[in-house]
Amino acid sequence: MTTSDTTGKGKGSFAPLAATRRPFFKLSDFVLEAILLAIILLLAFTAPGFATWDNWMNILRNAAMTGIIAFGMTFVLILGEIDISVGSGLAFFGCLLAVVTDSMTTAGWSAEISIVIGVVLCFGIAILAGMFTGWVRHVLAVPTFITTLAWMAAFRGGAYLLTGSFPVTPYPDWFFFFGSGAIFGIPFQAFVFLLVFIITWFISRYTVFGKSAYAVGGNAESARLSGINVLGIRMAVMSMIGVFTVLSAIMVSSQIQAGNPTVGVTWEFTVITACVIGGVSLMGGKGRVWGTFVGVLFLSIMLNGMTLLNIDEYWQYVARALLILGAVLIYQVQAMNARRG
Amino acid sequence: MMGPAKLEISNLTKAYPGVLALDDFSAAFDGGKVYALLGKNGSGKSTFVKCLSGAVVPTSGEIRIDGVEARFKGPADANAAGIAVVYQELSLILDFTVAENIMLGRFPTMGPGDITVDWKKTNAHVQDILTSLRIDIPVTRKISELSVGQRQVIEIAKAMSLNPRVLLLDEPTSALARHEINSLLEVVRSLREKGVAIIFITHKLNEIRSVADYVTVLRDGRLVGTVPIDVATPKVIVDMMFGETTLQSRPADLKVGEEIRLKVTDLHRKDKYEDISFDLRAGEILGIAGMLGAGRSELLRGIFGADAIDGGTIVLNGTEVRRPTVTRMKKLGLAMTMENRKEEGLIQIMSIEDNLCLASLDEVGQRGFLSHFLQAPVAEKWIGRLQIKVSDALQEVQSLSGGNQQKVVVGNWLNTDPKVVFFDEPTRGIDIVAKQQIFQIMWDLSRRGLSVVFVSSELEELLEVCHRILIMEAGRFIGEVLEPENTPIETLYAMCMGEMAK
Repeated sequence: MTTSDTTGKGKGSFAPLAATRRPFFKLSDFVLEAILLAIILLLAFTAPGFATWDNWMNILRNAAMTGIIAFGMTFVLILGEIDISVGSGLAFFGCLLAVVTDSMTTAGWSAEISIVIGVVLCFGIAILAGMFTGWVRHVLAVPTFITTLAWMAAFRGGAYLLTGSFPVTPYPDWFFFFGSGAIFGIPFQAFVFLLVFIITWFISRYTVFGKSAYAVGGNAESARLSGINVLGIRMAVMSMIGVFTVLSAIMVSSQIQAGNPTVGVTWEFTVITACVIGGVSLMGGKGRVWGTFVGVLFLSIMLNGMTLLNIDEYWQYVARALLILGAVLIYQVQAMNARRG
Repeated sequence: MMGPAKLEISNLTKAYPGVLALDDFSAAFDGGKVYALLGKNGSGKSTFVKCLSGAVVPTSGEIRIDGVEARFKGPADANAAGIAVVYQELSLILDFTVAENIMLGRFPTMGPGDITVDWKKTNAHVQDILTSLRIDIPVTRKISELSVGQRQVIEIAKAMSLNPRVLLLDEPTSALARHEINSLLEVVRSLREKGVAIIFITHKLNEIRSVADYVTVLRDGRLVGTVPIDVATPKVIVDMMFGETTLQSRPADLKVGEEIRLKVTDLHRKDKYEDISFDLRAGEILGIAGMLGAGRSELLRGIFGADAIDGGTIVLNGTEVRRPTVTRMKKLGLAMTMENRKEEGLIQIMSIEDNLCLASLDEVGQRGFLSHFLQAPVAEKWIGRLQIKVSDALQEVQSLSGGNQQKVVVGNWLNTDPKVVFFDEPTRGIDIVAKQQIFQIMWDLSRRGLSVVFVSSELEELLEVCHRILIMEAGRFIGEVLEPENTPIETLYAMCMGEMAK
């Protein structure tokens, strides 16, 4: 009979871990990147003005606003949850910030202090709302689809109520930097986009928190029975996307120089689309922040290219539909092949 | 009505890689009789059920129903040939009525184009079925409003509504309360008149006595024999089931220390277990024996904090705990491998490496940071120590065999550096070599002074591995075996049967 050595003092027959080193580079792992590259090359030769510095900065500026939220959404989807309130949230936090700034400056406070207080208030509400969503999901098993559906209505309604349905424009000039400014010719948003990407990428790959999120999304019961704080993870992730929504809201407000209750309509779908293109599974447990990063660029570049090619806006919707379906089909086929070995 | 049915099995064989689950099995079952089918785990019972229900295709051999050879490609073929199976897991739709569930997929229709369900006819037809089986449950009642026992009865009625020639009942009473069992057995008895051959699989000897006409025993994939019920005393049955058994015994150097590691006092949870008190000492391997539904897993889960408890005290390593949670118990040095390793022990889509670090993420990580470089040594350590057969630790854990998956679960918990480890059915569905390795692991833990609680449905395993065995029935401890090495398996089996022991 075999004897196993659980004392750890003995030799321990280390399994042939190194025997099957995976190849360093496998093209099939980079399908999305390869297609994106092909599209960029194609557009560079066909679309007038595509391969210019200004256009690229324009793409980055647009990608950044939804992209920041998409990184938060990646974690939400990895958890097996969803947040469809981000578009309304964008409008609500933009309006809240504008209204707070407006009334405080009217009351004699400086614009700086008013904006800081408004921003803190926005972050606070976003975090509390996310914690609530995560809490009812965990304790009462209310699907996040339902709770965030309610938030979606509440945020949009709140945005209109706060502003009386008219844009509020209380901002001083320096505030416009966040939405229209540039450093070394690169838009400010692009830096935030990159920063949020690096942070979330790092969290997903190199933290206990990130690994726990994958575990909860992979099998919440196994995670719970392994002593992982499932409630904490759920509340934290639902709050995190709220924080990113506020970040995006600040930049959008800065860009349009107002708090406007009509912004962000259907953004939730743009954001989810980017994640899906990037290979994040709506079933939970699977997805990469890098994939979302590529997905966001993919979507922005496609839309930008089609606009430059003068393709009708309605056809762009059709293209978007094909993109989602195509991506999902490819990933599904890949997953099935992998399962068959 | 047709005459009594006859099911003949000749030379049925089912080979799996490395195992003969059914080995040249031959038997005959007559209509109008109830056959209790017995055999310990791994005797080939479930393979036999799968062959009959069309879930697996036998390697060779014949199944004849009323003299006609039957070959099944799938469950639908078996149904068409007149074989109906009632499983212990229910297949009813909770929000549908009794009548809807029974007639699902074959509703009588009416009206233009025959597209409207004729509810009157549906209900009347189902009422006829229930009346003929002497079942007194309203046909318009929703399943969700019925007790588990009533649901099981409806499940049988549904099977009978197909007018089968052979009815297989796979442990239908395992989830039922005692008073519900009686009314279910009542229904089974009444089925005799229909001329159906009934094969009733159960572990409970007292049920057999009250319902069966014959006892058929399987061992190692072969028929041991079929005896009439009046000859089948518990001793006869147990002898047939176990044959000559030679047990391997626990190494002699495993000593139980003085120090009490876990002290449980008056633990209880409504309808699950009550009045539970026991001590577990350093180095001790304590077995808990009992039949399915005795409350063994529930008890371990309660102590571990996986499910709530109603009351009682737990003292673990000197710390008193009144409301255990997994996180708390883990910190205090308790580990538990779940009965249901696929759904509750592992995260199938994560890698072997990740699964080995799951319960100790905080410790493997450094100040909240974690990486492959921190995890890989941990994975390598346990893959080596537990001899997990793995070609690549970054593969998804679902690519592993049952035994190796179980070792991943064990490694995951041993990495939390526990003082007490609960093993809930760790050997279920794993091969003999992996089983022996799991025993070795438990013995090694004991040697290092750790305490182990081992729950298993396989009694010989408990005798083989443990220092002491507690016997649980209906949520209570009803007996104790202090010298497993000197206790014959028949004695332990009889003790688990409760009143049958006397």
